[in-house]
Amino acid sequence: MDTKKGFDLFILNQERIVLAITAVIFVVASFGLPGFLTPDNLVAVVRSVSVLGILALGMAVVIIGRGIDLSAVAVMAMSVAWYLQMLNAGWSEAGALALVLSGVILIGLVNGFLVAYAEVPAIFVTLASASFVFGYVRSQIITADAVPVPNGHWLQSLGAVQFLDVPVEVFIFATFALIVFLFLRFTKWGRYVYFAGDNPVAARNAGMPVRPMLVLRYTISAILSFIAGLLTAASLHSMNTRVVNSTLFYDIVLVAVIGGIGLSGGKGGVRNVLIGAALTGILLNTMTIIDIPLIYQNLIKSTILLAAIIIDGVLNPRDEQTAQQGDI
Amino acid sequence: MTTDTIIRLEDISKLYRGVPAVKGVTFELKRGEIHALLGENGAGKSTLTKIIAGVVEASSGRMFHKGEEKSYASPNEALDAGIAMVFQETSLVPSMTVAQNLYLGSEKFLNRLRGIYISAQQFLQSLNFAVDPTALVETLGAAKKQMVEIARAVHHNAEVIIFDEPTATLTPEEKRHFFALIRRLKARGVSIVFISHALEEALMLSDRITILRDGELVASGETKDFDREKIIAAMVGRSLSAELYRQRDEATVRKAGHKVLSVQDISMGATVRNNSFSVFQGQITGIFGLIGSGRTETFKIVSGIYKRDFLRGGSIELNDRPVRYVVPREAVKDGIVYITEDRKSEGFFETMSIAENIFGGLLAADREKHAIISYSEMREAAAEWTRALSVRAINDNARVVELSGGNQQKVVIGKGLVQKPKIVIFDEPTRGVDVGAIAEIHQIINRLADEGLAVVVISSYLPEIMNLSDRILVCRQGRIVEEFSPIEATEEKIMYAAVH
Repeated sequence: MDTKKGFDLFILNQERIVLAITAVIFVVASFGLPGFLTPDNLVAVVRSVSVLGILALGMAVVIIGRGIDLSAVAVMAMSVAWYLQMLNAGWSEAGALALVLSGVILIGLVNGFLVAYAEVPAIFVTLASASFVFGYVRSQIITADAVPVPNGHWLQSLGAVQFLDVPVEVFIFATFALIVFLFLRFTKWGRYVYFAGDNPVAARNAGMPVRPMLVLRYTISAILSFIAGLLTAASLHSMNTRVVNSTLFYDIVLVAVIGGIGLSGGKGGVRNVLIGAALTGILLNTMTIIDIPLIYQNLIKSTILLAAIIIDGVLNPRDEQTAQQGDI
Repeated sequence: MTTDTIIRLEDISKLYRGVPAVKGVTFELKRGEIHALLGENGAGKSTLTKIIAGVVEASSGRMFHKGEEKSYASPNEALDAGIAMVFQETSLVPSMTVAQNLYLGSEKFLNRLRGIYISAQQFLQSLNFAVDPTALVETLGAAKKQMVEIARAVHHNAEVIIFDEPTATLTPEEKRHFFALIRRLKARGVSIVFISHALEEALMLSDRITILRDGELVASGETKDFDREKIIAAMVGRSLSAELYRQRDEATVRKAGHKVLSVQDISMGATVRNNSFSVFQGQITGIFGLIGSGRTETFKIVSGIYKRDFLRGGSIELNDRPVRYVVPREAVKDGIVYITEDRKSEGFFETMSIAENIFGGLLAADREKHAIISYSEMREAAAEWTRALSVRAINDNARVVELSGGNQQKVVIGKGLVQKPKIVIFDEPTRGVDVGAIAEIHQIINRLADEGLAVVVISSYLPEIMNLSDRILVCRQGRIVEEFSPIEATEEKIMYAAVH
């Protein structure tokens, strides 16, 4: 977080490096790639990162609090698949929505409870819940990999809504970005996220409700995943549950980490998600225009993710070493 | 340059991100001498020795080892050349045996455990160390761990051994063993540099003394030319002993007020056993005990950080009301604030500014129940407390990790006091704090007691206990065993109660 008055332009940090790289790619692509700098393409760029961005917002809240949520993609896909399945089976809108939403919140609560109170490492808890959610819904509830949106449902029409030629997803992403920003910056619960992410022991000893806040974070992440799933279904008119086994999770972490949300906790905010989403969106778009095969795209993305993490570690070293070795 | 000089540093400087930690120091270590390196925290002692041992690289200047210009790029390289450094926190692998640690990094390709036990046994005996080579390091006490560290250095044929605050974690008994050991090493012709905060030790043990202040060398010479006063004056640039070592009499001892905390027979596992005591308003209760005596654990139970045994755990009454806290949050709401001895790992928030750290205390106390926070409130709280505690920093947005130990401690104190506590527990309030800031922190503690708060000071530094306390409780083996008035107490009496 940054409460410094004024802007120290000479200090390099990851955020500024990424912003610069994004600008360079943008300028190069504008001149070098025909069809990049057109209104339609730019809208497509923003639209493509909207869903990813919402998922990354949830992930950011968890990572700032020194955790990780591997179940985001599974919750996103399976909750919406279940919801659509119920609608197709003739459930009422309100009934289906209420049931799915309580299921989503329950997953978040269980994740948070196991991490906070049972003290199981987040990576294992959420890995297990991801497998459970996928396995249970796929085997017990839905019958095919993909579940279509029923005809005439509001999700179908939502996908086509546009304001000023900009698809509605973009506005929804912007709205949630604003909400998460306000939450992290101006509510005490949002500030607790940073304190607990920076130093959980000190936060607990100072009297902050560290454990209830952990549960809250995983619940927020689950709810944002569900919303991202609804948007996916709105634009594709169905939910394909195979996405759980795709590399989408790494894209989410890429957006969060590349923008400068440190995996060591306590660092970053919504601005970093936006920067990460901008770079990822432009990168994916230019790679698609150049027509790089998907497997090479994954290679490039993974290299960039690794580089971002290494640069973060070099530029913002944690002081644990000096902590171990006494004074300078 | 004479032949009996083993290490010579010429005009050495070291910058950390442009900030000088050592400025143009010229230092000489003679063969077979014990050289004490003294100075406040942040004076550059550790940095200087780390340059010798190859842990950090000097920004400028030259180093001569046995007359040849050298610069060691890594601790291993320095060790091969005969320079070993024994760190404050030992660098042993706790889950391995003593012998495995001794041979760590020099194992043969095919490593037979029996073989290294036999040779380690012979080696330890040749040094006269009573350590079992098959014992796991984690089962050893602090002194024995240090012995293993030293044995490792000697095993590598080190001619220069650097100790960074070797006696900080030792009991008086262990210290005696350690000093005897240092003298034996000296007799073998090993040159020793030791960094210490305990001036008495330096005066007793060393042949020569070098004093650093703010990264510069301010005094260096034969130990016989120094005394306590002279050293302190050189370390801080002024004489402080009158402030730090005042004589107590009736007039300076506060009377007990209302009994706010009554602890009966609390127990927690093997560390706290049937501990009973009371704490009163308007005075400072000093708790003295050696490391491992259960004093920190006792007060962590009181402040809700640890839980006492569920069965036969005893009782705690706060203003005649029985309490049993599950989390520190409940204790903070009842006005009990614990200020930790380990500020880096459980005190402050390292990525954050001074203002945010202090605001953290205010948010945690959660008195006004506001969901929406106010940044102007943060700035006001930060300004109020940095002024009240005279935290010295460029501004309140400076990051806490960039401050000196004393100022970090003040921020941690501010983070606690902003919660408006009724009972404040200071655990080792001046550990790793420079001499100048010690006096200021003592003033803060005295002021709190004068304002009518119940103050507890836990310390293993006797002059601190004698100077601050209105009552002195001595803790040993998990319980309070003796109570003294500061007027009648002497260092000998307190130490006797703590050890026997």
